[in-house]
Amino acid sequence: AAMRSRAEVDATLQTAKLNPAELLPVVHCLSFGPQAGSGECCLLQLEPGLCAELEAGRSLVIRGEKDEHAVLCSKDKTYDMKIADTSNMLLFVPACKTPEELNADLAPCNIIHSQIAGFSKNYWELRRCRPKLKKLRKLLMEDPYEGPDSQKDQPSTFSKYTTEDLLSLIQASEEEILHQLQVIDACKIEGYWRILDFDYEMKLLNHVIQLIDSESWPLSKVPLCACLEELGSLEPREMIEHILLSYGRKYVDDGEVFFEMLEDKICRAVAQMLLQNAVKFNLSEFEEVWQQSVPEGMTTRLDQLQGLALVDKSSRPETIFLLKVEDLPEDNQERFNSLFGIRQKWTEVDITPYIQDLCAEKQTVGALLTKYARCSMLNGVKVYNSRRPIS
Amino acid sequence: SGGTGALAQWVLVELQGEVEPRQSGALAGSLLGDLHYTCEGVPVLIVGHHILYGKVVQLEKPFAVLVKQGGAPQASPTEPHGHYTVTALIKTKLLFKTRPKPIITHVPKKV
Repeated sequence: AAMRSRAEVDATLQTAKLNPAELLPVVHCLSFGPQAGSGECCLLQLEPGLCAELEAGRSLVIRGEKDEHAVLCSKDKTYDMKIADTSNMLLFVPACKTPEELNADLAPCNIIHSQIAGFSKNYWELRRCRPKLKKLRKLLMEDPYEGPDSQKDQPSTFSKYTTEDLLSLIQASEEEILHQLQVIDACKIEGYWRILDFDYEMKLLNHVIQLIDSESWPLSKVPLCACLEELGSLEPREMIEHILLSYGRKYVDDGEVFFEMLEDKICRAVAQMLLQNAVKFNLSEFEEVWQQSVPEGMTTRLDQLQGLALVDKSSRPETIFLLKVEDLPEDNQERFNSLFGIRQKWTEVDITPYIQDLCAEKQTVGALLTKYARCSMLNGVKVYNSRRPIS
Repeated sequence: SGGTGALAQWVLVELQGEVEPRQSGALAGSLLGDLHYTCEGVPVLIVGHHILYGKVVQLEKPFAVLVKQGGAPQASPTEPHGHYTVTALIKTKLLFKTRPKPIITHVPKKV
């Protein structure tokens, strides 16, 4: 079709009884572009900050396998995607100026032919969400690293994952993934991210603890070089350094690298080692053995075991059992169902370590409890139980 | 992903109802209408026999226009999987919500 002329536009104005003197001199003749009906274009509503990121040249990525709800990831945040329907028609027009832009134009014309690139009745809406990181641990646990002597560590049938692999499989931003790898003490071995098998990890830790003891080093000043020298014949140097990084705080003093050993983390690991061998333990017996098992100079405290173990104060004698928050479901409702399946009534103090990670940005544990639990009083203490009957 | 070089700025035009081609046939290439602005900056859209008055709105939440890559099936919100490129940003919309004023055309008398 031939493009409209200014004369045709003016004729239409006349028919419409609009006074050209009341209008700006430029008209946009809107027509549908060649690809307008193809549905190739769609709209994404941007949350604060994302527009600036795009303008700065950074990328947004949509992640999710066919069976997962898609999420959008910026460099450091993750968003759920949802369709929003409008009852109106939204047309996207590339060459279209606003009145301000027209008034600022130095060489005005009187006609612009704008092609509509596409149209839609809906768009994607974003809502910031927690990154879906449980899968990360699950993938890495498919083949935990058991050390160089392990039979298993040959070209195995299990998948090994590079950073790029993880980026394409995990519904989270790159920064959130890299941060989580650090949190779970993963390490890179031959280019692949690995998690240490717990027994191997304890074996490495034990080497270090024994050495600290025999050398009488203060727990706050463990020298890296000496560790590598003394233990290098027993284990790969990278593993020795990795265990020090996992269980110590690295610092430099007078040009030399030292580690301040982390009491809470070491006590917690020793507790896990003890607790994983039985369904539950007599609490006072456990506390005694636990204190005896940790390095000289370290003090055990039950609050070190938040999110790792649970004390049953209702049993006689009191018992303690292993319950790891990372083994529980990631979905909010499923998490609460699981927790109420384990114990009918929870105090806020007991349940908090097991729901803390569910809190969205600016959400409190209290808000979660209000939403997913019912409050009641038991022997003068506020307790929470399920909103629904447990089957 | 974001583009290399500055992203284009497009404009959103929001209309009530459906968009249908005047002639049954492809939409591509067909005219929608003439867009004017009054001296006060009020957008006026003449579509067929209707005059629509609207307003210029600065969007609180801008839009990104995504184009699906690789000739894959339609980029609909129900099937968001795949690779996309951000083609443009939209920070402004022309909202036409008022009921259209019909244009009464002069019917010539029969001679």
